Amino acid sequence: MIQKTLDVSELPPFSVSNDDPLWWGQMLMGVIEVMLFAIMIAMYFYIRLSVDMWPLPGDQLPHKLLPTLALVPLALSFPAAWVASEGAKQDNRGKMLAGLGLNLALAGAFLAMRIVEWHSFNFEWKADIFGSVTWTILGLHTADIIGDMGFTLVLFVIVLTGKYAQKQRLGVHVDSIVWYLVAGAWFPMYVVIYWGPTLVGAPR
Amino acid sequence: MTPIIEAPGETVDPRAGTNEEHRKKLERAWSRPGRIFGFFTATTHTAIGMRYIITAFAFFLAGGIEALLMRTQLAFSNNHFLSADRYNQIFTTHGTTMMFLFAVPMMEGMAVYLVPLMLGTRNVAFPRLNAFGYYMFLFGGLLLYAGVLTNTGPDVGWFAYPPLSGPQYSPGKRVDIWAQMITFTEISALCVATELIATILKMRAPRMSLNRLPLYCWSMLIQSFMVIFAMPAVMVASTIMLLLDRTVATHFVNPAAGGDPLLYQHVFWFFGHPEVYIIFIPALGFVSSIVEAHTRRGVFGYPAMVLALAGTAFIGFGLWVHHMFATGLPQIGESFFTAASMMIAITSGIQIFCWLATIWTGRVRMHTPMYFVLGFIFIFVMGGLTGVMLASVPLDWQVHDTFFVVAHFHYVLIGGAVFPLFGAFHYWYPKMTGRMMNETLGKIEFWILFIGFNMTFFPMHILGLKGMTRRIYTYPPEMGWDNANALATVGAYIIAIGGILFIANVLSSRKTGAPAGRNPWDAGTLEWAADSPPPPYNFEYLPVAAGRYTMWAPAEARAVVTGMRDDRREVLVTSIMDAEPQHRLVLPGSSFWPFLTALLVGGGFVGTVFGFNWYYPTAVAAGVGLIGWFWPKAPRDLRP
Ligand code: HEM
Ligand SMILES: [Cu+2]
Repeated sequence: MIQKTLDVSELPPFSVSNDDPLWWGQMLMGVIEVMLFAIMIAMYFYIRLSVDMWPLPGDQLPHKLLPTLALVPLALSFPAAWVASEGAKQDNRGKMLAGLGLNLALAGAFLAMRIVEWHSFNFEWKADIFGSVTWTILGLHTADIIGDMGFTLVLFVIVLTGKYAQKQRLGVHVDSIVWYLVAGAWFPMYVVIYWGPTLVGAPR
Repeated sequence: MTPIIEAPGETVDPRAGTNEEHRKKLERAWSRPGRIFGFFTATTHTAIGMRYIITAFAFFLAGGIEALLMRTQLAFSNNHFLSADRYNQIFTTHGTTMMFLFAVPMMEGMAVYLVPLMLGTRNVAFPRLNAFGYYMFLFGGLLLYAGVLTNTGPDVGWFAYPPLSGPQYSPGKRVDIWAQMITFTEISALCVATELIATILKMRAPRMSLNRLPLYCWSMLIQSFMVIFAMPAVMVASTIMLLLDRTVATHFVNPAAGGDPLLYQHVFWFFGHPEVYIIFIPALGFVSSIVEAHTRRGVFGYPAMVLALAGTAFIGFGLWVHHMFATGLPQIGESFFTAASMMIAITSGIQIFCWLATIWTGRVRMHTPMYFVLGFIFIFVMGGLTGVMLASVPLDWQVHDTFFVVAHFHYVLIGGAVFPLFGAFHYWYPKMTGRMMNETLGKIEFWILFIGFNMTFFPMHILGLKGMTRRIYTYPPEMGWDNANALATVGAYIIAIGGILFIANVLSSRKTGAPAGRNPWDAGTLEWAADSPPPPYNFEYLPVAAGRYTMWAPAEARAVVTGMRDDRREVLVTSIMDAEPQHRLVLPGSSFWPFLTALLVGGGFVGTVFGFNWYYPTAVAAGVGLIGWFWPKAPRDLRP
């Protein structure tokens, strides 16, 4: 019997693009995170609707100035991540370093502003449900930001030392995807935490 | 399209050398280091899948022993075999074990083993993540049982409602252990879901377009998406609401500070209802595979089946409030969830009719797996009927929290998942071991399990209607519940006998079963193209799909892939819709890091049971583990 064959030896042994299964892996990890935040936001509204006053008596609404300013570095980090990912696809070390480095700096600025802002809160998570839900959303998101910054830092070091090839480039590419999701998730949460109470939360 | 051509000579691919040399090279590339240390570096899906299956089965036995203890206690009135506190721990541990440590991981393990074979590839897309997920599951289970054995077993029911489970009414560590055990098993389920989706979408055999995907793989694809959307909710419920309230005094479930115990119920059941479909949808896939092979025809109404599966998953997210009918929600909401709950009977019904049509029009061969399928149809339909009854609020109010509900969910869980699972064990055992199971013994097992099951759980309907509430450790004789309870207890022991016979069959057939060969059932899907048991690389040459049932296609229509390197772990990546080859992919090899990372992270999680600050070292440990895991290794450059 003659065996029929389909030859794939001409196909490349890697692809630094969205074709790689890792794209799906990272995308889904991001979806899991986003789902977590979506549930937290749903909880926020559920709790909001079950009490008469929001925030609860004694709690001050968080100030809007610093978190709003912090959106600027966060928004700028998107193009930075994009540069890194394009650099990875084109195997351009300079672009990767610039993108990753800029992303780290901007994320760091965002994080610093957030931590400064925390000192202005007049409520703890132990105070009441308003404190608990606000701090938990912020804490979870901060953990994500720090986690992804760690990942970015490691990639930055790898690219800096030149110890990289296709797999690490793919890592840089998908790192940007995670960043879009983690950073992007902040915008709706920002609206909920800082504007929600003013827009829909006038004492009933 | 990459063209199919005829092999030029005797060997399939002259560049690969003789078939013997080719196999040797593949063997070398895909096997793990030997010895004890090497055991923890395994990353092939057959190895990890088998570990999942064996571990989950061990937990099934533990849960079964707990069931027997409960049934022994309830056998007659005023029994004091178990104390009230013990009974609380045992029913909670039983429910928790069966749901989180048996049913879900078992379904995941079967999929980890079977899906890559059915797709005609060599491993899952993320082999190390797969290994990591397994160890997380194992450690989570060990944590729960460490608690149980030190009298710190959870005692608040498998859904741990506050305020009972809150800091005020459950001091001690019982609930904290339960809550963190959830984190372990959820991480494991999420790992498997992620890798299965990526594998199914991107690593199918060339030409296996989505409309040729085996129904079992469809069911796992859909189930995996459900896991992705449902599991975060239970993490919010257990790890955030309960554990934070208990360890750092947040107020999610504390009404005195604005929190709300009902919110916990919403979040939990937003996960909890889809959870039963997460268990049940893979079982539907088993049934389709078994029915197809035993009628020797493709399933009747393939598109209807796929749509019904997807519809079930979709509707499954809109039913959670039917667990909360007795909490006094607004009536309009209750009506909505009644309607949604009844709707799911439609999608389930479509599938039942498709299978019946397949059986009707096919040439049926009655082997043991088929017995379990017919048993499934009978029991599951009965569970579905009580389900439709419970969906109506007045009836639910009457029997909520009684043994009627216990009967209902065991009919759907055991009928809907465990019977198909036993069918699947008998069906794929030849693939996994290379030998057939004993048919006669198999049929005896079936009848014993079937009779024992109905004897145990049918009387519980009546007990529930007579007012016997669930989760009580004993009852006075004047309630008139003695006879039905005695019957149920005898039934439970009969189930145990069936279980022992099954284990005996599994163990003895490993030595004495008839050799199976590659395709003993003459089935149509690609797992039957591999050796039994499959070598670590699964296929010498990756198969090309020829229709939905490649093994039934005429030999001239079939082809294999050539041009893959056999000296490293290469798989083929194909396009999402049409499965056109896109590029080759070199998968990572054996590694100790997944085990080590799981150990570090798991150790940290155990710490968080005792204090929140353990999260910080855990995060650092996870970072160290992941860096070790991903650090570039030479040779880095992937040459063609
Ligand atoms: C093997 C035979 C089994 C027997 C004899 C059995 C028996 C029981 C009994 C007597 C109870 C609790 C009664 C009470 O409320 O006091 C129970 C509860 C439960 N069972 Fe089973 N069971 C079996 C298998 C399973 C399986 C396979 C699953 C799931 C896949 C399961 C899931 C549950 C759950 C979730 C509960 C509720 C626990 C709670 O109230 O928190 N059982 N079972
Ligand atoms: Cu439900």
